[in-house]
Amino acid sequence: MALIGAGAIVFGGTVAGAGAAAAEEEGAQARISLTGDVETLNPFLSVLSTSDSILMYQYEPLVAWAAEDNSEYPAIAESWEANADGTEWTFHLEPDAMWSDGEPIVADDVIWTIEAIQDNDALKMAKGSLVENIESIEAPDELTVVMTMENPQAPNPGADLPIVPRHVWAELDDPAAYENDADTVGSGPFIITESSKTNGVTMTANPHYRHGEAKIGSLVWVPYKSSDAAVQALKTGEVDLVDGLTIAQFDSLDGVEGITTISAKGNSFSALAINPGAKDIDGNDLGDGNPVLHDKVVRQAIVRAIDNETLRAKILQGLGDPGTGTVPPRYPTFHWNIAPEELPLAYDPDEANRMLDEAGYERGADGVRLDKSGNPIDLRIMGRSSSSNSQQAADFIGPWLEEIGIKTTVSMLSDAQVNDESVLGRYDMYFTGWGMGPDPDFMMSINLCSSRPNADGSGATSESNWCDPAFDELYAQQHSETDPEKRAALILEMQQLKYDAAVNNVMFFDARFQAYRSDRFTDAQLQPAEGGVLLRQNGPWGVYSLTPVDGAGTGDGAAADGGATGWWIAGGVAAAALVGGGIVLSRRRSQAGDRE
Amino acid sequence: MSDNVVTGGGDTLVPSGAPAVDIDEPRRGTSWARYTLGKAGGALVSLLMVIVLGFFAFRILPGDPVRSLTHGRRVSVDQLEAIRRELGLDQPLPNQFWRYLTDLLRGDLGYSYTNNEEVSRLILDRMGPTLLLTGTAFAISLALGLWLGQRAAWRRGSLFDRVHTGIALTLWSVPTFWFGLLLLLLFAGTLHWFPTGGMVTAGANLEGLAYVLDVAHHLVLPAITMAAVVYAQYLLVMRASLLEEMTADYLVTARAKGLNEDRVRRVHAVPNALLPTVTLIFLAIGGLISGGVSVETVFSWPGLGYLTFQALSAPDFPVLQGTFVVFSAIVIAMNFIADLVYRVLDPRLRTA
Repeated sequence: MALIGAGAIVFGGTVAGAGAAAAEEEGAQARISLTGDVETLNPFLSVLSTSDSILMYQYEPLVAWAAEDNSEYPAIAESWEANADGTEWTFHLEPDAMWSDGEPIVADDVIWTIEAIQDNDALKMAKGSLVENIESIEAPDELTVVMTMENPQAPNPGADLPIVPRHVWAELDDPAAYENDADTVGSGPFIITESSKTNGVTMTANPHYRHGEAKIGSLVWVPYKSSDAAVQALKTGEVDLVDGLTIAQFDSLDGVEGITTISAKGNSFSALAINPGAKDIDGNDLGDGNPVLHDKVVRQAIVRAIDNETLRAKILQGLGDPGTGTVPPRYPTFHWNIAPEELPLAYDPDEANRMLDEAGYERGADGVRLDKSGNPIDLRIMGRSSSSNSQQAADFIGPWLEEIGIKTTVSMLSDAQVNDESVLGRYDMYFTGWGMGPDPDFMMSINLCSSRPNADGSGATSESNWCDPAFDELYAQQHSETDPEKRAALILEMQQLKYDAAVNNVMFFDARFQAYRSDRFTDAQLQPAEGGVLLRQNGPWGVYSLTPVDGAGTGDGAAADGGATGWWIAGGVAAAALVGGGIVLSRRRSQAGDRE
Repeated sequence: MSDNVVTGGGDTLVPSGAPAVDIDEPRRGTSWARYTLGKAGGALVSLLMVIVLGFFAFRILPGDPVRSLTHGRRVSVDQLEAIRRELGLDQPLPNQFWRYLTDLLRGDLGYSYTNNEEVSRLILDRMGPTLLLTGTAFAISLALGLWLGQRAAWRRGSLFDRVHTGIALTLWSVPTFWFGLLLLLLFAGTLHWFPTGGMVTAGANLEGLAYVLDVAHHLVLPAITMAAVVYAQYLLVMRASLLEEMTADYLVTARAKGLNEDRVRRVHAVPNALLPTVTLIFLAIGGLISGGVSVETVFSWPGLGYLTFQALSAPDFPVLQGTFVVFSAIVIAMNFIADLVYRVLDPRLRTA
């Protein structure tokens, strides 16, 4: 009934676009589709990437990641230095910097943020691991912060940790309960001015931002629950920027007038993990991986039998980048840059067969090889049913492994179940993937022997259930190596060591597909500048750099026109229904009366 | 969207041979009280089962909430422990259950792991949008289904009957998600008549009439999608129960009195045929709250269906428990009311 009521009162008057008028006074409005719910806007609690991607525009860390190449770049700190072994880090804050409310940004803000996390379990939720190694923190003066580390640390401790204004947060009774969703204070280019489940999140330009006020007046994050709808919204002009497209959606937007598509270097890899014989933290066996995989030769033969470049061609239509080590080419400093055919375990099924023959895995009558106990080798492949890429990859990998005499059984499970089984080592092989930030330290750390879980799966998480003391040693060295070049060399060596163990066959480095209305905004700064992303950067640069095109509307112009048409039609239908209903009713009433 | 037709609301009472009490006679309190108490007792037992089940059922789900929360992020063992403590997941299961039970008695549904909000507030926040959508869709599908159903039955086998039953069944069997997406592509994407999603224009801060119109504008496509997919069940139930009445003697009497067909149908046959649909309607009202996951997802509607769907993937126990208990309680309450209403409507059930 609501529909008819609403339709009936529409006579003239457009509806959509009312918001645009308000925005015009304060400069253009960029609308970004937001896939997924915002679970919180409190930077201490935000654990999902959706919220993080919004908060990145409001809070700066001490040290940012440069737009050009993801290298360390001044933010709240204009300069920093570490002592020789990385046990003491000193940060010099930029003088005269201001919060969005005009208060000065000082060392006390940094200290309060770090100590708040250290002293309060409820605030450890999101960023706890970033401050664990900080033993003490002092401010010799208003613009200097000195951190003393518990253990030597080469990765910059000032990166990734958003600093909040003490004069706002210290006043709160319970910072963990603070919604931080209206009239907030920050140091980044945009500040949250309001938010609601239905309205999305609105941010306005911060006049005090250290690089100058943004050229767009406000940002609106528009909630979309299906990316197909978001793509339509980009086409109709209801949103201006969309991230996280599938390859099909990317193709459908390619060449559409007024829209520019971006196929960027992603920050993640897609891989097939191979269980080398998982063990728990105490060194006891964990899970039920097939013992034949304890033999490195078998694992290496499997990697040799998989044609990763064909997978990339079929699944990503040749986009993305060839799989090598762990760090994607988005971070060239630490990326293992090697042509796929030159990899030590490059695709070569004949060589794979030769290796298995030599190691004594003979084929049975049906062509399936037998393990040392005489059982046919039948390996389980596990994947997430939510990932079509995994399903596609499995369709190829099965036949390839059959060529080298290994039978496979594929099962696709829910995400949560895959998480459980993989942590507990209950798999032979499974599809996995990891995204990472510019510093590879954490990504490396989850391959340490000390990262193995407890017997019940609690405790740490091991990336590949693999443990090698030689790797641990290299990790310790790079963790305290303050010379960037030497550290990069160590990280490369670690990736090669892990590659050789054949516990994680990186099929490819993912591409990230995005699109935006280039008829409304130009000068988008990508990160990295070559082949980089516009949204979901390690920093606010992309959206901050957007420049409105002169004369372009402030959004939803198309929606406004269409809106009116829609209304006339809805109104017409409703009116017809009312009139029709009225006629029927009055006819009825005229013959009413005689109760039988 | 529950895609299965629920039938039967509670136990069917076999009419005994006792004479029916006339509707105008004062009711006999004892039998009413006994009937009501019996039904209320049944509802209460169901509710208790739901409360216990709500806690244990979701814990069978695979997945560790803390792992899911931190999946793919930089976390340390200490941080994991801290989160576990924070969420009360470090306690043994009996303790967790006791806490859940005592909280529930105080009306506290707990605190969501992923949304950093009280579950009760989450549910309340999203209940409005969901009820607006499902309520509108329900009204449309009910009106359409009952009206077409009785016409189709009355002219059984005619072209009208065949066409409408065919259309309704076709829509009933299309996947909601696909149908919604189709409407979205056509009417929002290509024709630009309606917005592509959401409940209001984000960031527009409309007020008063403009706000109402904006919401209505956003409501059209999702409500039509939802109604189109479910109206078939009302049509078919109405049609079937009216067909049963059509051979009844009292209709012959009515016609003999010279009433026109239209009146015979409306005043004599339909009221009697409505009984089975009452059950269906009450069950549907109970289901309204849970919303339509598919429709809400396609049209980015900020409702409850999507909330539950997301909670499953974590798993976010407090949200799952909370929504499960609340939804079930509403369904149980509606069933209870349906039982009472049934007794009023159907004289045969009023035998003491």
